[in-house]
Amino acid sequence: MKPGMLKAYIHVIKLAFIFTLKQSMTDAFILFGIFVQPLLIAIMALFILGDQGDELVIFIVVGSGLTGLWDSVLFQSGNSITRERWTGTLEVLVAMPTPIAVIVFGKNLAFVTQALGSMIVAYTFASIIFGYPLSIESPMLFILSIVLTVLSFVCLGLVLATLFVLNPDVQRWQNGLEFPVFILAGFLFPIAILPMWTTPLSYILAPYWAAVALHLSSSGKPNILEMGLPWVMMVLLGVLYLFLAFWLFRKMLFKARVDATLSGQ
Amino acid sequence: MSKVIANIRLFFQGAVLSYIALFAWLRPSTYIATKVVGPLAQILFFTLMGKFGTSGESADFYIIGNAIQITALSGIYGVTFSLAGDRWNGTLPYLFGTPANRMTMFLGRAVIHIIDGMFGVLIGFTWGVTLLGLDLSNTDPWALILVIAVTTFSTSGLGLMLGSLSLITRNVMFINNTAYFLLLVLSGSNIAIDRLPSALQAISNVLPLTRGIASARAIIDGATFRDVRPAMLEEIGIGIIYIMFGYVLFRWIEVLAKRRGTLEAM
Repeated sequence: MKPGMLKAYIHVIKLAFIFTLKQSMTDAFILFGIFVQPLLIAIMALFILGDQGDELVIFIVVGSGLTGLWDSVLFQSGNSITRERWTGTLEVLVAMPTPIAVIVFGKNLAFVTQALGSMIVAYTFASIIFGYPLSIESPMLFILSIVLTVLSFVCLGLVLATLFVLNPDVQRWQNGLEFPVFILAGFLFPIAILPMWTTPLSYILAPYWAAVALHLSSSGKPNILEMGLPWVMMVLLGVLYLFLAFWLFRKMLFKARVDATLSGQ
Repeated sequence: MSKVIANIRLFFQGAVLSYIALFAWLRPSTYIATKVVGPLAQILFFTLMGKFGTSGESADFYIIGNAIQITALSGIYGVTFSLAGDRWNGTLPYLFGTPANRMTMFLGRAVIHIIDGMFGVLIGFTWGVTLLGLDLSNTDPWALILVIAVTTFSTSGLGLMLGSLSLITRNVMFINNTAYFLLLVLSGSNIAIDRLPSALQAISNVLPLTRGIASARAIIDGATFRDVRPAMLEEIGIGIIYIMFGYVLFRWIEVLAKRRGTLEAM
């Protein structure tokens, strides 16, 4: 790829990011997923998990924030192509010289980034309303984990977006996929309490490694080696998701052209 | 007499057609994902969190609480969408243009969802028994079914009220989602009511589901229907109050929309 082309793509990603951010901040459904639901989950978790010290409260804040991130990937990133289809803009986007994957990447980046707000809301709520003295134990490791989390979630969102367009039968499972990932990724309890056969399923989910990295860095002082595994796994899975997404994008566009169903439902 | 028959026909036709219209997109996979797998995952999530936590509640507390709360899927989302669908699909002006009895039309929207909601709760209990070892050996099954029916009715009452709101707002999903999750917090499904702050206990007291969940727990623990009858009468009363509020709102919106010419305003 030529450097000029890369610069152009970054510009498109930036524009898609800003436009999506502005558009989605007025969408009550998105605002619910980012602010209200994680907050209510955090409240329930505070009651259910009981008083186990401040360390657990930061675990709850991070865990409930992750539920907001996953909801954003599942319902916003997952629908990022379908929504263009609904609004009749998909044909225009596909016909542009910029690959549609680049535009969807920018959109998904906006969805996931704004979903980080769920963590900030839960943090503010727990510290101000409940009065817990909250602190991130390893801030630098936490920030790096957040960056990797966002990127791996965006890549996972690209897979979901294409998969949902290619196969509406998969999209019909969208509602049913929310809580299973909360469970398998260990957002609010360790996966050690799940049956052993579910562990491989957790390992192929970037949200699981994100939860490991964020919980480790927020609740303790791990060394770089301890953080290495979840970070490497997030990078590996992110790259894997990216390859899978590009293959699905090609398949989707080829199929749409052959069947003439780009705007079809 | 013919007027009564016409209203009965309208009631049942409205009930069936609004349900069919709502699930026009329905395929078995959608229903299974939303009404079978989704509830299982919700029950598992809260039960596992409860097992990991130290709140002192047993696994059964979360299984029963969430199994009953699942009725809100039909009672809140289903009923609300049945009403809101007329606005989205542009059929609201025709609906309000007919001389049909409004109460019959309004109530009919909830009927199938009450049946569907009860079925959903039974699926939830099936998961509880088969996968999580919920013990129903001390349970009077008919009393439990009656509790489920009453609770589903009262939750649908809230759904009808929220459905009326959906005729004047574009943010119906925000309202539904908030109502569903607030019920998870305040109805006693996951947090024992006496652990809530007093202000929240007062809110919990006027919500549907609260008494239903408490009664279901008591029935499964060996109580008879006679023991929970006062709570169930209150639950019915709460459901009726929500329906009346909803109906008044429904009529008010009709008058207002006709006067302002905003029947389909989005």
